[in-house]
Amino acid sequence: MPTKILSVDDSRTIRLIVGKAFRPYDVQIVEAANGEEGLAAAVREKPDMIILDVTMPVMDGVTMLTKLKENPELKAIPVIMLTAESGRDNVLQIAKIGVRDYLVKPFKEDQLIEKTARIVSLQKKPAA
Amino acid sequence: MSDLANYQELARKYGFAPKLESASRLTQLVARQDSDVDEIARVINKDPALRDRLLRVANPNAENPVEYTVETVEEALIRNGIGCAMVLAMGTPLALALIKTFQTMLTLKLGLIDRHHAEPLEDEHLLGTIGFSGRVVGAVYLRMNRSSARTIAASILGLKPEEMNDAGEIRDVAGELLNIMTGNFKSNLCDAGLDCRLQPPDVKFSTDPCSPVTPGGAMERMAFRTEHIQLFVDVTANPWSDD
Repeated sequence: MPTKILSVDDSRTIRLIVGKAFRPYDVQIVEAANGEEGLAAAVREKPDMIILDVTMPVMDGVTMLTKLKENPELKAIPVIMLTAESGRDNVLQIAKIGVRDYLVKPFKEDQLIEKTARIVSLQKKPAA
Repeated sequence: MSDLANYQELARKYGFAPKLESASRLTQLVARQDSDVDEIARVINKDPALRDRLLRVANPNAENPVEYTVETVEEALIRNGIGCAMVLAMGTPLALALIKTFQTMLTLKLGLIDRHHAEPLEDEHLLGTIGFSGRVVGAVYLRMNRSSARTIAASILGLKPEEMNDAGEIRDVAGELLNIMTGNFKSNLCDAGLDCRLQPPDVKFSTDPCSPVTPGGAMERMAFRTEHIQLFVDVTANPWSDD
């Protein structure tokens, strides 16, 4: 069964880049454009890992992370924050709520793969 | 453990790039409001790149240093106000984030160039704007010709420029570029105690080449170039807003 990763970002560009980064791997990407959609997708899809932006309309990443950690069925899902914001207060608040890693934009696809591989199993797709 | 020590430990754990000391120091000084001009001038004079940029901001109509009427950092700060220093402090992380984005996500070496040596914008060009409010009020404007916008979008999405015909996708990529740039300088401002909120990016095609200066504030105009791509970034801010 492929590893299932939920990518939550209001930017379609970032969701496309995340999808492109995992294309060589046996990974199923599920996308959501804000925290509210992300929470619903987490409940529905039970992903192995979540890649989460901070600043988003409707529900931001910090609120989604808080709600995720309050839900006994979802709180164990590891989260990597992927955001341009690395201000002290933001990082301290997010770390306190609980994330496995934090990647600051701009980022290399290799960095995302490396951080993901430390958390979930990433198997290369067999050559076609 | 203090918040700062906690943050430094997390920054090491997550592998954050170190912050630029001169820009952080300058932001902290401007944020204090009671810093004197000499103190701010000392920080700027220690960094030749910051000094050159301040003098460019203070002499907006001069095409080269020979035409400068404001010739020293102290004079620039007295005549143009501390807002000038604020714009510089914000422009530094913004420019670095833009250059780093091109390096990491497009594998292109983008360089800051003299705006007077840049090729002019086409009549209709892409304009991205992000406003911010809070203890600092202002906006960042990103402008580029259609061909540059298409090349950037194609490169980021792993396509060929001729495959990149969806104007919505081109706008979305430009909006994300703006998000990345402004997110980086927002962190710098917030760390200095100047909390501010970013508005969502507004990206459109425009025929108006003028970026309005924030009332009571200053503006820095920057131009960047790499092969086939040219970008213009204007930053305007007023750090003494009551918003």
